[in-house]
Amino acid sequence: MQAGLSTKNAPSPKVVLPYYAYGAVAFIAAAIMMFFAGNDITLTYMSPKVLSIAHVLILGWITMIIFGALYQLIPVVMEVKLYSEKLAMASFITLGLGTPMMAYSFWVNFIGASHAMMTGGGLVILSVIMFVINVFGSAAKTEIKTIENRFIATSVVWLLLTVILGLSIVLFPQILANGSFQIHIHLGIIGWFMMLVVGVASTLMPMFFIAHQLNKKCLERAYWMINGGLVVLLTTMFLDLGNYAKLGAGVAIFLGFMMFFKYNLSAYKKRLRRSLDIGMKLSVLAFSLFALTMLTGLLSAFGSIIDAKYLTTINLIYGISLIYGFLTALILGQMYKTLPFIVWLKLYQDKVGKFKTPLPADMHSEEAAQAHYFFFIAGFSLLIAGVIFKEAILIQASAAFMLLTALLYGYNTLKILNHKQKLKPLVMPKLKPRVRPMAKKN
Amino acid sequence: MAKIDNLNEIEQEVLEVIKTVPDPEVGVNIVDLGLIYEVAYDEENKRIDVKMTLSARGCPVGDTILQHVQTVVSNVFPGFYVDVELVWEPQWTPANITDEGREELDGGAF
Repeated sequence: MQAGLSTKNAPSPKVVLPYYAYGAVAFIAAAIMMFFAGNDITLTYMSPKVLSIAHVLILGWITMIIFGALYQLIPVVMEVKLYSEKLAMASFITLGLGTPMMAYSFWVNFIGASHAMMTGGGLVILSVIMFVINVFGSAAKTEIKTIENRFIATSVVWLLLTVILGLSIVLFPQILANGSFQIHIHLGIIGWFMMLVVGVASTLMPMFFIAHQLNKKCLERAYWMINGGLVVLLTTMFLDLGNYAKLGAGVAIFLGFMMFFKYNLSAYKKRLRRSLDIGMKLSVLAFSLFALTMLTGLLSAFGSIIDAKYLTTINLIYGISLIYGFLTALILGQMYKTLPFIVWLKLYQDKVGKFKTPLPADMHSEEAAQAHYFFFIAGFSLLIAGVIFKEAILIQASAAFMLLTALLYGYNTLKILNHKQKLKPLVMPKLKPRVRPMAKKN
Repeated sequence: MAKIDNLNEIEQEVLEVIKTVPDPEVGVNIVDLGLIYEVAYDEENKRIDVKMTLSARGCPVGDTILQHVQTVVSNVFPGFYVDVELVWEPQWTPANITDEGREELDGGAF
């Protein structure tokens, strides 16, 4: 085997593809649920319907696709085979069953320890534990010790803590008094999602932009600022320490993400591919929305000096711009950069050079992708407007655009998954018949 | 083995054949991306050697590209043993891209 090649390390497509299919369905479901939640979204993030939609988006859509994509990407970034494909399949089944159970429990307001909540939450934890074993099992074999891999490994530790605390809240609601809900949210958002996104995006974005000679020092700084800030932030929440400590932690985390932002901005500026395909256009949009997340996140850290009625809106925009903005746009975009390759390799790996094969970029409908790019922008803008003006009709209009986005995205996902093309044999140029001279030796 | 700016006529023909291989991610052929370092044509031993690199370590389609090169060269030169070797030194840099490749990247393949 040639060093550095990951196709031979890639897991079987049947391990990865179901994650993409499930994610697309969950994204559609979340938009439909949002349509019926309407007014609840403008009020508070603690309402049952908001919690339900948040978990469909976070577990069914974002985590689902992240798990699937990571099972494919671990061999790429760590240059090893996945620790266990069986565990990867089992983590799909458990997450896939657990998520709707939890979403149902939240929707019908069963925040307590109902059967559906307990079983669903238990299955999600099981899935996460299997995922964690797979990541660490693979990481143990790798010789590639990059800062990007360190971000990924650290995020997995935070993920485990997030789900354990989440289920503890359901089992022992009295711990809510210790700021455990805020800790759960921040562990999940900053520790799990963001830490992981920093690691994965910092690997993939320069690769897709074809940007070289980037300074990784800012990623190193970002690692310590974000993790250090997060530990301080969680401690202040748990011990209910003064606002200055919380503010300091918030600023450190903010600066850490600025470093990450700077790294990706320099990849964007140094890119050799000047024109962006739909996958990269959506990814660039994601980073623009991330600016809104950082701004509202920083304002949220100043919570003590902000009027409570504005703070709720700021917190909502912070959460929405991260989950329905940055992470959703990034996944929409990165689907176009990953799924076609997985399917392409499965179908054409043995056909290249013998048949005229399509390119991975030819496997989706470009019209559908371009349309959902604009529908997504419309849906997101209306959602933010709905939260600011507390207008249910704006939320419902947003839900309609998000549903259109989700349906078109789902259509493209399905189109790529079911891609079939009759191949024509490749006609190679015929060489002129002649006596070939001996090659010149150097 | 001959560096690609110092190929004889038949090795140049091998290179032209390799030019039919695109990088599936960017849609530009791998010769213009500067991924091919050396080509050697050995009539006596019926052997063709190609030394090449990839633009990023761990490229997910890396060995498919290598296999693609091996298949197309074998097709055009039947009876020859074709060996495609992947090297990481010297490391690929954007400076390797030819003017044609740069134009295709700028214009955007998609």
